[in-house]
Amino acid sequence: MLEEFSFGFPILSYLIFLPLVGAAVLWLIDDEDLLKSTTLGITLVELALACLVLVRFVPDSAAMQFAEHARWMPALGIGYHLAVDGISVLFVGLTAFLTVLVVVYSWDTIRNQVRLYFMALLALETTTIGIFVSIDLILFFVFWELMLIPSYFLIKLWGGGADRHYAALKYVLYTLLGSVFMLVGIALLDINYHQWAVTHHLDHVYSFDLLELLSVPIPLSQQILIFWLMFMGFAFKAPVFPFHTWLPDALVEGPIGMAVMLAGMKLGTYGFLRFTFPLVPDASKSEGVVAIVMVLALSAILYGAVVALVQSDFKRLLAFSSISHLGFVVVGLFALNFQGLQGSLLTMINLGFSTAGLFFMAGFLTTRQQSSHLSSFGGFAKQAPLLATFLLLIGMASIGLPGTNGFVGEFLILLGAFKAKWWFGAVAVLGVIFGAAYFLWYYERAMLGPLSKNVSAAVKDLHMREITIALSLSIMILWIGLYPSPFLRMMNGSIQALVDRLDRAKVASVDTVTHVPAK
Amino acid sequence: MTFSLTLSASDLLLLLPELFLTLWLCVVLAVDFSFKRIVQEQLAYLTIFGVIITLACLAWFDMTGITGTLFGKMFVVDRMAIFFKVMILLATILVILLSIDYVHRFSLFRGEYYFLVAMSALGMMFMASANDLLSLFVTLEFATFGFYVLVSYLRDDMASNEAGLKFFILGVFAAGLLAYGISLVYGETGKLVFSDMTGAAPTTGLVIGFLLIFAALGFKIGAVPFHSWIPDTYHGAPTPVTAFLSIAPKVAAFAILLRLFLVALATFKPAWALLIVAASILSMTYGNIVAIAQRNIKRLLAYSGIAQVGNVLIGLAAGTKMGTDSILFYLLTYLFANLGAFAVIMAISNSVGSDEIDDYRGLNRRSPFLAFAMLIFLLSLAGVPPLAGFIGKLYIFVAAIKEGLYILITVGLVNIVVSMYYYLIVVKKMYINEPLDSSPIKTTGPLRAVIYVGLAGTLVIGIYPQPFLDWAVAATLMFSNLIGPAASLTPPVTPFGG
Repeated sequence: MLEEFSFGFPILSYLIFLPLVGAAVLWLIDDEDLLKSTTLGITLVELALACLVLVRFVPDSAAMQFAEHARWMPALGIGYHLAVDGISVLFVGLTAFLTVLVVVYSWDTIRNQVRLYFMALLALETTTIGIFVSIDLILFFVFWELMLIPSYFLIKLWGGGADRHYAALKYVLYTLLGSVFMLVGIALLDINYHQWAVTHHLDHVYSFDLLELLSVPIPLSQQILIFWLMFMGFAFKAPVFPFHTWLPDALVEGPIGMAVMLAGMKLGTYGFLRFTFPLVPDASKSEGVVAIVMVLALSAILYGAVVALVQSDFKRLLAFSSISHLGFVVVGLFALNFQGLQGSLLTMINLGFSTAGLFFMAGFLTTRQQSSHLSSFGGFAKQAPLLATFLLLIGMASIGLPGTNGFVGEFLILLGAFKAKWWFGAVAVLGVIFGAAYFLWYYERAMLGPLSKNVSAAVKDLHMREITIALSLSIMILWIGLYPSPFLRMMNGSIQALVDRLDRAKVASVDTVTHVPAK
Repeated sequence: MTFSLTLSASDLLLLLPELFLTLWLCVVLAVDFSFKRIVQEQLAYLTIFGVIITLACLAWFDMTGITGTLFGKMFVVDRMAIFFKVMILLATILVILLSIDYVHRFSLFRGEYYFLVAMSALGMMFMASANDLLSLFVTLEFATFGFYVLVSYLRDDMASNEAGLKFFILGVFAAGLLAYGISLVYGETGKLVFSDMTGAAPTTGLVIGFLLIFAALGFKIGAVPFHSWIPDTYHGAPTPVTAFLSIAPKVAAFAILLRLFLVALATFKPAWALLIVAASILSMTYGNIVAIAQRNIKRLLAYSGIAQVGNVLIGLAAGTKMGTDSILFYLLTYLFANLGAFAVIMAISNSVGSDEIDDYRGLNRRSPFLAFAMLIFLLSLAGVPPLAGFIGKLYIFVAAIKEGLYILITVGLVNIVVSMYYYLIVVKKMYINEPLDSSPIKTTGPLRAVIYVGLAGTLVIGIYPQPFLDWAVAATLMFSNLIGPAASLTPPVTPFGG
């Protein structure tokens, strides 16, 4: 069993429950300013705790660290098992970081039902952190489902678009549809463990614990079934093309804060790395599975990029660019080699800064012109030079310009993809070119050139709070771009362990793969 | 077969909860008649007091492990019977609390109302202990008898009378089916006690007999295609009676179904499992789809109840020890969420005078507490973690997956998504829409008590279900010899994904 590092106190539980307790405290506060500062305080403490975890995290190790383990429902084999490793630890920091920025952003942009908004936001933080630190699959699933509730309210109550009710419902139902299939996959893992445990006369015959499930062999035919069931859950959430249709609606109609969390947190692709690959390695590397997923991912890259190219609304453009980027991440994942996996993981983190950052930018634009549609802009850089500068920087990170974080991740993914099969890489490169095209084209039309008559002279440049947001994002972008090794070292150990596990798995022969159940 | 009617003291002990409740009912009735000045609230609390003593008695049985059979195995006291009786009595207490503010709407016979509620509970307690065909018939009719009166208690209300009539006619019809089925089964086997029938040859008469008995029990639990009385009866009946009807008879009927299918018919499992799978799929799908179109909250819960019964039947279709545990546990979670939801409905109905879902608009502004409670109850019914309903659904699904019931599971899962849709519609009305009338909604003490109990049950079972799981597992030890294919020591030969 892996060695476990730990603090003297259960820091991961604190991370999970601090925002929840905070949300309860908000119930008692009536004054609006106090409400905001309390929320900010809570999220800052949360960020400090997350930084503590990051600082104390032992890099280059595959071990599960800061583990907490308690029995929850022994009769069903469900445990309260929390831990972080190289795959999840950065997401914890990212969640805490983005939540602080969302609170800062929401300071003056949320005007109605302020208390409920911040409560929902804190609840969202709890569930998101919970997703990243859960090792028990049912505990993970609990947070995974629970996340829908605050998201539903956030989109529905504070969304800007006219179709926000539709978008919220669609988001919940789509994710739910995927996750109920995932639940069956989880249950199959449990049953498989059960059969194994009974034949080996173990004490506890049920388990949903990732580490215990990993120790049990799974027959290939069953692995393939479990893979597709879990794939449904993660693909809907990620979303992988063609399960993506809820994403543009949710991102465009929902409030900026929600869009930041949705686009910034790559929960679905995290699920592949955390659960699917280690649990069903044979299925994950079987030719049929890789071929199908790769085709979907490559289509997503091209589809997302082409659709983004013709969007004239910035938020909608970002939504489709998000789909394209996710295709990239999935290509890296299913390259199934060290570079691909590492690049994907880093890109997931990067998108947390760049895509989320661009959504903040969209928010800044919207507060100025009541829209992010191209018709409201033109020559905007003259009026708001600071905004234009930050938009360019964060946009460059999203494109993957060398020197920004995006470059490191994309480069690793392309390297991994070429190593796997040359044409994976070749198609993926097209996405990079399109990515530069759609962003720069929008930027040129919105920011450069003569000042449009739709832009009033009263429009102001970024104010202090907005500069804080943009600046902190830019710092992270340049940090990872120029000096990525601390981040890469944190993930190395776990990625290497995962690659080893995948390599040890038997290569599935083609004839067994033909029995893939029709979905 | 000879019946010994000489009862020893230890035999009487087994009957103690039922005997005590019977006597207490007489006391309630006598008090109602003798003291003209008595307020109906006092009668309610008097009834509750008796039910609590009965509960304490059952708890004592459970802790000391008192079990046994009476009257030539007609009446059995085992831990499963005790589990079911506790659920029935819990529901009874909550329903009486719900009724306190409602009873003034009845023009006459307010005192007898409590008597009838508790009498039905007594009948259902006997149902939970019924162990042969005769006691099945007698106890089922005994329990239903009280409901015939209760459903039409609003005597000046056309809907209530209509509900009562529909319930009565279909109930009598079901009783006819039951009697016919019993006579066929007895004619074919010459046996009455469930455990004696195990291994009987499957003759045509026996099959038809059991189908008829299943149909009759299907009426009680409201499974499709025996559900037709449910929506109108739920809609028209006085709301506390609807609440009672939505949980207690189902619980009691499942006790009988478990004994019937897993004891008497244990050897024919492959045959009846198909029947249950069909009923389950139909109930879930029909209930959930029709629920979407409802505009009245009582009808919505009626259809969602049909779907929930479909879920419970999944556990029966699994037909294993684990399936049985999951049924018991699921019913317990359903009890709290459903009665809690009815308490919120009562509070709104008392204040607004309507059960239309449109009147739930902006409930969050009018009463944040009621809206929050309703949110929790609906999400638990939908099976959202970490609420009780999620653990219940998970347990049932794991039990069914273990038996390889993939089609059933797929239908069940898709149905969860469908059900989420209409629960969210109510949530949307409560939280998003503007209230038509922004006056705050007042709740009374007894209603709040029920809501608190429902919330506590839903949250505690959801977050710390272990003691309840242990209780359910211990209650069904009698079924531990039921070993399904997947639980045997050899891995299944059938490949997954079929």
